[in-house]
Amino acid sequence: MFNTTEIAKGVNVFTRKTDQFKTVNFSIKFKKELSTKDTAVRTVLTNVLQHSNAVYQTAASLRMYLDDLYGTVMYLDTTKKGNEQIVLLNVETVNDHYLKSGDVLNKVLDLVHTVLFKPNFTNDLFQSSIVEREKAMVIDRIQSIFDEKSRYAQTQLQKIFRPNHPASISVNGTVADVEAITPQTLKDAYEAMLQYDDVDIFVVGDIDEDKMVASLKEALPLEDRPNPYKKVTFKDTEPLTDYKKEQVEMRQAKLHIGYKAPVRFDNPKFFTMQIFNGIFGGYPHSKLFMNVREKESLAYYCGSSYVSQYGVLYVTSGIEAENEEKVVRLIDEQLQAIQQGDISDMELNQTKAMLKNQLKEALDSARGQIEVFDQYRELPIPFTVEALSEQWDAVTKEDVQEIAKQVEKQTVFFLTGMEEA
Amino acid sequence: MEKVQFEQLGEELYYEKLDNGLDVYILPKKGFSKTFVTFTTKYGSVDRTFVPLGETEPVTVPDGIAHFLEHKMFEKEDGDVFQKFSQYGASANAFTSFTRTAYLFSATNHIYESTTTLLDFVQQPYFTEQTVNKEKGIIGQEITMYDDQPDWRAYFGSIENLYKNHPVKIDIAGTIETIDEITAEHLYTCYNTFYHPSNMLLFVIGSVEPEKMMAHIRENQAQKTFAEATPIQRIEVDEPLEVNCVANELRMDIQKPKAYVSFKARETHLQGHEMLKQELAIQLALDLMYGRSSAFYEEMYEKGWIDESYSYDFSLEKGFGFAMVGSDTNHPVELENAIKTVMNESEAALPFDAEKLERVKRRKIGFFLRAMNSIEFIANQFTRYKFNDMNLFDAVPVIEELTMEDVEQAMKSIQGITQQSTFTVKPLKEAK
Repeated sequence: MFNTTEIAKGVNVFTRKTDQFKTVNFSIKFKKELSTKDTAVRTVLTNVLQHSNAVYQTAASLRMYLDDLYGTVMYLDTTKKGNEQIVLLNVETVNDHYLKSGDVLNKVLDLVHTVLFKPNFTNDLFQSSIVEREKAMVIDRIQSIFDEKSRYAQTQLQKIFRPNHPASISVNGTVADVEAITPQTLKDAYEAMLQYDDVDIFVVGDIDEDKMVASLKEALPLEDRPNPYKKVTFKDTEPLTDYKKEQVEMRQAKLHIGYKAPVRFDNPKFFTMQIFNGIFGGYPHSKLFMNVREKESLAYYCGSSYVSQYGVLYVTSGIEAENEEKVVRLIDEQLQAIQQGDISDMELNQTKAMLKNQLKEALDSARGQIEVFDQYRELPIPFTVEALSEQWDAVTKEDVQEIAKQVEKQTVFFLTGMEEA
Repeated sequence: MEKVQFEQLGEELYYEKLDNGLDVYILPKKGFSKTFVTFTTKYGSVDRTFVPLGETEPVTVPDGIAHFLEHKMFEKEDGDVFQKFSQYGASANAFTSFTRTAYLFSATNHIYESTTTLLDFVQQPYFTEQTVNKEKGIIGQEITMYDDQPDWRAYFGSIENLYKNHPVKIDIAGTIETIDEITAEHLYTCYNTFYHPSNMLLFVIGSVEPEKMMAHIRENQAQKTFAEATPIQRIEVDEPLEVNCVANELRMDIQKPKAYVSFKARETHLQGHEMLKQELAIQLALDLMYGRSSAFYEEMYEKGWIDESYSYDFSLEKGFGFAMVGSDTNHPVELENAIKTVMNESEAALPFDAEKLERVKRRKIGFFLRAMNSIEFIANQFTRYKFNDMNLFDAVPVIEELTMEDVEQAMKSIQGITQQSTFTVKPLKEAK
């Protein structure tokens, strides 16, 4: 699907030429091992690079230039995947082909170079006023999680369910970590990123691939990585508790449950686990949706998600606090049903059809092509819709029942309103 | 079947008005494997007082009924419609806005079967007292979920401030109390009045053969009989220009206050080309006054009065319209005043020139070109535009033609000082 060119040791360009889209999409990913100590500084770094560089010193001047480039979208962010933390720069620009005057693409590549390689340094350091301002922004971002109660409940669950584990490490770091950042530590992290991180560069659009690789080599003068990054495996950690309740001022209670999944992404049984998740709570035809919502009217949403990178499964629902026990019991019953082999042909076939459809739909966007390819290219099977469909098709009811037996409920987190006095 | 070409965009749109009055549009998209179909009625939360089909006297129905009806369309005598879509690997969904109710699916396979399912389930109502009552628990949880979302509360708090009588001020889902009043009979009354094919639009986009799909839809519709199409009588309310309430606040369990300033539109009865021009002109002006490349934004960001939650927006529909600017902030009063100052000073002279206007026009054109990659965007927006007699594909040429005079004229709609209101969400305890 993508053509790969190594432009330096540990620096790979993945290109895909297609006339499917009216734009050209870039995604540049700097990867290193995930650790609590680096997350905060790398997140603040993305904010600083996003808002100021040597050529466009203010966010407004950079925005104005992006407006001139037909509203080219450019943003930096941090994410995580398994045991990796990723600094990413995403760009989407219109294809010159649809404009009266061309040459937007070259200007965009120049700008990518500026953003990454021409920082706004004073006395060889990031300006401390900008660093302080962006630190405050990241602290706000961390604190604002509390204001969105379902996100807050999910982070609270992760902390007690998988302590000291990549699944619970926040890419934004902690408030204390952010506060400790100085212009010097930020510069150290910036230089280390350019020098040591593995870099994957994805490009999708109606492009000349050879020319694009040559242009990228020029725009991103990255040298050989001395120690190309190797994936480090990590073990599950034990939950701190099997139940915790927290009370804040709110109307709807949030029920979040953490399960140990028997397999991760790199296991051949991964496909079976995806089907289990679809039958359990992944879709509107699933047992959780049909029973907790449609049959019992206990919730507006009740579903499961399988996070294959971490070998965990979550069930989340918003309910009346007084129905807690009833809903927990119903959810338990749905898992038990699958464990006992209560799986209809229809449920199995619907789930397979939905998984295939979702994959094909994801490939209809450039961003989807990049993300799906980036995830599945690690699998030993060739990356095609047909090859993946075969894997799903091969899964039987017995396979699903077998894997369901190994799904283990470990931690319940219940966020609820204050009780009436 | 008509065919319209949009050469600059490289798009071809097929159209037919069926005998029963249904407008069908088909837009094939090269290179896509998915097909996205929306079936939309021009009926939303604001349509609460109307003359029911076949009657002469207007009625007012309980708040939240359009949304309730949307939920109940999915349940049939033989079960849940989601099950059928899932069998074809199709993802189905629906949403209700102030002015529209849309039913939709996307799929990469079995698109004719799913299109039939979509048309049939929306055109075969099945409501009983029992199924209606069962849904109250589910929607009740949807309502309480939104009640806990401070941004949603701030949005609706702002609209309640702006409007005295217009039903746009009523939450789309209603309240626990109002949905409790809803009966199966109410649902049939609303359904029969607003779900006539002549009040609906079907949009098909993606991997589709236009002739074959049109024939399929035509055949499906020809098998059904509908009442004679009659114009729908919606009862309009009188709404003064000035706001209902100039400032209001709400306390919630949050860390950082939220401050919103909203501006009520004076001009809300344009349709067609004039409305498109008006809407785009105001959006461009707001980009220049409040956008991320504006002097205002830069100053607020430098001062730390706004953060990443900052947003601004302009909505216009027939009968109501408003702009909103706001952010999470530890300086709500200062921010609200600064937002108002930019608007008030723009009355004497807009804070930008023709050259800057050209720049945001370019950005907006880029936005529309990017959006042409999104079949969901095209389907949803095309329908919204069409319901207001506008054409989505005219947006780029209209932007190209907009002048400073057009923008000055359009901005008069939201500049009056009596049209402004603030809404603040504050933490339970004041920060020290």
